Amino acid sequence: MRAWGRILPPAIAFVVGALMLEMAVRWSGVPSYLLPRPSAVCQTLVDDGSELLAALWTTAREALIGFALSAIAGVLIALLLSSARWVQRAFYPYAVFFQTVPIIAIAPLLVIWFRFDLAVIVCAFIVSLFPMIANTLSGLLSTDPALRDLFRLYGAGRLSTMWKLRLPSAVPNILTGLRISGGLAVIGAIVGEFIAGGGLGSVVDEARTQQRTDKVFAAVLLASVLGLALFGLINLMSWLTLRRWHASEQD
Amino acid sequence: MRICSWLGIVGLIGLLAAAGCKDRGSTPSAGAKITFQLNWKPEAEFGGFYAAAQVGAFRRHGLDVEIAPGGSGTPTVQMVGSGTVDFALVSADELIVARARGNPVVALFAVYQTCPQGIMVHASRGLKSLPRLLQSDGTLAIQRGLPYAEFLEKKYGFGRLKIVPAPNGDISLFLHNPGFAQQCFITSEPIQAKRAGSDPRTFLIADAGYNPYTTVLVTRDDYLQAHAQTARAMVLACREGWRAYLDDPRAADALMQKLNPTLDGEVLSASAEAQRSLIETTQTNQHGLGAMTADRWKTLADQLMELKVIDSAVPAERYFADLDSPAGK
Amino acid sequence: MTTVRSAGLPIHIRGVRRAFDNGVVALDGLDLDVPAGQFIAILGPSGCGKSTLLRLAAGLDKPQSGSIAVGGAGRGHKPGRADLAYVFQDAHLLPWRNVLNNVALPLELLHVGRRQRAECSRRAIERVGLADAANRYPNQLSGGMKMRVSLARAMVTEPKLLLMDEPFAALDEITRHKLDEQLRGLWSAAEMTVVFVTHSTSEAVFLADRAVVLSRRPGRIVEDHPIDLPAERVSELRGTSAFARETRVLYEALERGGN
Repeated sequence: MRAWGRILPPAIAFVVGALMLEMAVRWSGVPSYLLPRPSAVCQTLVDDGSELLAALWTTAREALIGFALSAIAGVLIALLLSSARWVQRAFYPYAVFFQTVPIIAIAPLLVIWFRFDLAVIVCAFIVSLFPMIANTLSGLLSTDPALRDLFRLYGAGRLSTMWKLRLPSAVPNILTGLRISGGLAVIGAIVGEFIAGGGLGSVVDEARTQQRTDKVFAAVLLASVLGLALFGLINLMSWLTLRRWHASEQD
Repeated sequence: MRICSWLGIVGLIGLLAAAGCKDRGSTPSAGAKITFQLNWKPEAEFGGFYAAAQVGAFRRHGLDVEIAPGGSGTPTVQMVGSGTVDFALVSADELIVARARGNPVVALFAVYQTCPQGIMVHASRGLKSLPRLLQSDGTLAIQRGLPYAEFLEKKYGFGRLKIVPAPNGDISLFLHNPGFAQQCFITSEPIQAKRAGSDPRTFLIADAGYNPYTTVLVTRDDYLQAHAQTARAMVLACREGWRAYLDDPRAADALMQKLNPTLDGEVLSASAEAQRSLIETTQTNQHGLGAMTADRWKTLADQLMELKVIDSAVPAERYFADLDSPAGK
Repeated sequence: MTTVRSAGLPIHIRGVRRAFDNGVVALDGLDLDVPAGQFIAILGPSGCGKSTLLRLAAGLDKPQSGSIAVGGAGRGHKPGRADLAYVFQDAHLLPWRNVLNNVALPLELLHVGRRQRAECSRRAIERVGLADAANRYPNQLSGGMKMRVSLARAMVTEPKLLLMDEPFAALDEITRHKLDEQLRGLWSAAEMTVVFVTHSTSEAVFLADRAVVLSRRPGRIVEDHPIDLPAERVSELRGTSAFARETRVLYEALERGGN
């Protein structure tokens, strides 16, 4: 019952917003090649449905693989960085590289180094890696010092302390990182697809070339839906993991 | 929180409505600044326009023109349609599609009488023709949305070829892979590839039967009606510029190299040379540089309809304006 | 290996000095002997080195000079021993574990088998009166309950030395008094030495056999006073004149040490 309370308000807002946009576009006379009506976009979703869904599936697959890889790599790298102060000082600045590198510039290089579809996964990976490292590291470094003392008191080794104390206490931060990285992975995949082809990115590129703005919007809408679905999935994971003990999931 | 999202939606709609209601085509009278939007970075294909600026052709016809370079994906046809700029370069098929989508752009001057679009392969593969290439193995990099690609697919089919996106001016994939073929402009990529020591061989799409005017100066219908004199002055100035460039490209080449430092001087002059036969034909000798015929436009529109790229076409005369004749529209 | 069944671990502190990097000298040449099984309270103004002393005794910190010996001759004070326990000012429970698993943590870290772990944890929880809260999570517990879990966790290894750093300071008075009684009961039932750091003179008097008052930093012993009260500490004691007398001794010592 509570689920409806969560879904209904934004759903209604979306429908009303779409209706208002439809009326605004019709009334203002904006040409369709600049801004298509929502009804035209819906029509395109129906007409080109199979093509768009196939593209969505490709992008989803590549984004998810890139995302999963960046989640695992991010946590591992953060664990490494948190192991000693000098390691963190020496290598963390280079992790920031993943945040700042303009993916659209290096995507052509990635296409040369990897196969076309692998390059897209690598794009998704690069773009979504840094938030995982940063958030996980933040969680690992903010472990309760008193608890660390307690573990030391009973002679717990580094592995024990990492597995039973530092990693569990960093789980809320890891989940925050996942929330951010998920959406970025979708963006990274689509940007990669502009250069390497396939999926929603190439649908957008092709539609743009054909001056089919309605199709561009339809593909973009599906990309947003993908990002939203991923976000929802992670929220579900967060609820399942934290519901019994963390303030963020208590009502 | 909900109120914020409502306000956001309303604000966005308001902005878009305002953009749509923007007074299009209300450029002040001749003498004010005109922005002329190119669809790529300065290269030999724009040489005549830069020459026109250099020899003072624009000034002589009372025009203050700013040539704005473009890049990968510059939406020139939409920019003209929406009034962001008044003059831009598009290709003829782009124009026909735009009109079919409700964007009323009209052509004034066509630089390339023969379309320079081609497919570049490694000569070492021994392929003798475009149909042979399309039946072979290997990789073909084309921009799928372009009508010429649909034309090739319909006429020959892509068979066993692996189709990947076009690298947009970057020939490194071609250089590293002997089985790699890609779309190109005959005036550009093959010359760069040869310079890099490779063995390119180019098949022109025009030879396969698809030959739209390319690098076409366009404006909007309503602008043309309101400022016919300015449009005519543009055409005349461009014609002079191209004449000057064809006669001696060196000065304009130097200017373009300064504007686009990635240009290689040798490639540039080789391009200027390679494009001559595409620009100056018996047609232009008779009717002047950049002149167009209704027949060519009709053929192209029919081809696009056959490819189902557009649903309907207008009479060919609507696609272009012949401003040079004494009874210019 | 001699196994002398002693009631708790004795502590011998000789000339201990602990200075920190920022120039603060917490302790400077402190001597203290705590006999096995004694309940000793340590009082003093803030920053006088009480917590530092406790951490040194726990082996969580090392002195610059001097020595701390916990237990008989020949036993070092490296961490990793089952006979030592520490209770912090806040409960510091693992929020992702329920009460039972929190209490079982020390046994887990000491590689005790699962069945024995479960038994000992249940017993420890019962002893602090939380038997029916075993499956609850820390965020479902009150402050007093959380502290009792912390206590149970400390007791689960049946330590011979219990170090406590103002554990009840953050609780309300009634809960505090209840826990004082419970602690005293636990101590008398077990065989262990307790070192209890507190700010409260009445708490020190109620709980301890002996109270040591430290001066301002660097901490020196201002008063070393055996508490003259019956061994059986009931809550009614708090109102007696003897109680008041003892608290006054400590209070005056604090005033002296604060100057």
